[in-house]
Amino acid sequence: MTHFEMPLDATSWSVLLPYLVIGGGGLLVMLVDAFVRTLKKDHLSYLTLCVFLASIVVQIAVHPGEGPRLGGMLLAGDWSRFFNYLFAGIGIMTTIFATGIYDRDGRYRPEFYPLLLFTVLGMMVLAAANDLLAVFLGLETMSLATYILAGGVRGNVRSSEAGFKYLVLGGFSSAFLLMGMALLYGYAGDTNFDAIARVLATGGGATILVTAGSALMLMGFGFKVAMVPFHMWTPDVYDGAPAYVTGFMATAVKAAGFAILLRVALLLQPQLAWAWYPVLTVFAVLTMSLGNLVALVQNNIKRMLAWSSIAHAGYLLLGVVTLLSPAVGDPARQALARTVGESAASAVLFYLVGYSLMNLAAFGVVNVLSNRGGEDADDINRYAGLSRRRPVAAATLAVALLSLAGIPPFVGFMAKFYLFAAVVKAGLVPLAVIGVINSLVSVYYYLRVIVVMYMKDTEADSYDGVEWVSVATAGALAALVLYLGIRPDAFHAAAASVIRQLPF
Amino acid sequence: MEVTMTHYLVLAALLFLTGMTGFIVRRNAIVMLMCVELMLAATNIVFAVFARAHADGGGHVFILMNFAIAAAEAAIGLAILVEIYRRRRTVNVDDLKALME
Repeated sequence: MTHFEMPLDATSWSVLLPYLVIGGGGLLVMLVDAFVRTLKKDHLSYLTLCVFLASIVVQIAVHPGEGPRLGGMLLAGDWSRFFNYLFAGIGIMTTIFATGIYDRDGRYRPEFYPLLLFTVLGMMVLAAANDLLAVFLGLETMSLATYILAGGVRGNVRSSEAGFKYLVLGGFSSAFLLMGMALLYGYAGDTNFDAIARVLATGGGATILVTAGSALMLMGFGFKVAMVPFHMWTPDVYDGAPAYVTGFMATAVKAAGFAILLRVALLLQPQLAWAWYPVLTVFAVLTMSLGNLVALVQNNIKRMLAWSSIAHAGYLLLGVVTLLSPAVGDPARQALARTVGESAASAVLFYLVGYSLMNLAAFGVVNVLSNRGGEDADDINRYAGLSRRRPVAAATLAVALLSLAGIPPFVGFMAKFYLFAAVVKAGLVPLAVIGVINSLVSVYYYLRVIVVMYMKDTEADSYDGVEWVSVATAGALAALVLYLGIRPDAFHAAAASVIRQLPF
Repeated sequence: MEVTMTHYLVLAALLFLTGMTGFIVRRNAIVMLMCVELMLAATNIVFAVFARAHADGGGHVFILMNFAIAAAEAAIGLAILVEIYRRRRTVNVDDLKALME
């Protein structure tokens, strides 16, 4: 445990500033809701949007330099900045989607806004963590707030059950993660990543502790990113939670999980690649195959997207597997190892952003249509004739689904292309083939929704509400999906420059 | 008999396994929450043992944070359970089937 210099110097404050803005903003929103009597429903969402924008502005304006800061707790620099932008962006979209819904049917949830900000704070800490303690605190801040986001719709028993299921299984998995951290701490005698890396390099300490500890930690992270066989909660929770929360969990929580999984994989890679590589290979193949196969038979669009998010976690795991592959660990071919490792890590980052964009666009539309009411609001057959009644919403959903299927010219195709290219570069051709076969299978269930929307017709749906803000936001995301699919180079280069900060 | 580090670790392992078994076997939601707390308590023992073995304060800080987070988790879990109980009059997880398909 490294020690803080007290009082904090100017650099420490500048590292902390974005976190303080989001955390302080959360407290502010909470207090405003409690004490300002003349508040209109929309005001909290405007305030929340301002907080997110302020955190982005702070990130642009303040450059605290690169490397571990605050006594080694947090990693400052491009890596954390990248994820902070991503989380703030997803937070803004979620705020817009959530607010569109309340306007209509009066299900107003003032507690949603501060909780969303606290969740994002947890994610930022998790992605920037450079110490096991920061990992634990970030992960739990994120998780505890997400449990309430998923389960906090009052009077909705499906939401309550989803929240409870997520909480119980989440608590169970955090216990394993925490035990893993305890064993790793016992091995290294320190919670700091840099100190652990030093102990790992010298090879001191009891190997059994680090092997068992890393296995338990893998279980904990696997739960958060919905890796098979720790995925059982995903379809039920994604189905029971309100659609705007599901979209948030499927994108931001997954991105945060992969951020820390990448960090920990790189940390443990020199010592434990031999164990993690085969295990993660099996899990990655299982995750994408099972996700795609079960998604084929879903009739509820939220459950279908839940299984598809499991499948996408499988593709992303391929990137982590590539990082741990013998090609990257081979000291004799250092230069090659670095290129392969960098292309795999940057492909994962590109995939996370592309996946977040297309998934948010899809959930933005699903969220509006969930609002129709009725038990079967999310049934795929209720989407029949959507192209005639709501052409913009249907086109947005179609773009998002085609992109999720990995069809050019959308960003989903480029994301898969970079990822599979990195896998092939590491010499793991069979894995790339399995990945491509899986994305071919997935085309079926994504196209099925599009066929229902465009080719079937039904008697006019009674629901005619037009949440134009939500639909326009989802449409803008779909446009971005198309743009990044056509011009991915600049963004891919940015992702590649972000991961140079990480040790390989 | 002298009590060594190993004894504490065995105690923690037994506590962790008790919690894990209870979580898997029992169907009462409140008991399941209690089992998670048992597992977290086991982790605290491991942290305390290693903090002493390495003469390092980091483990103790972990334990303090863990107390707070375990309490918050229990509070949220019970709040959601109360909401479920109001509607369903049961806390048996086998009866929570609104999401099964």
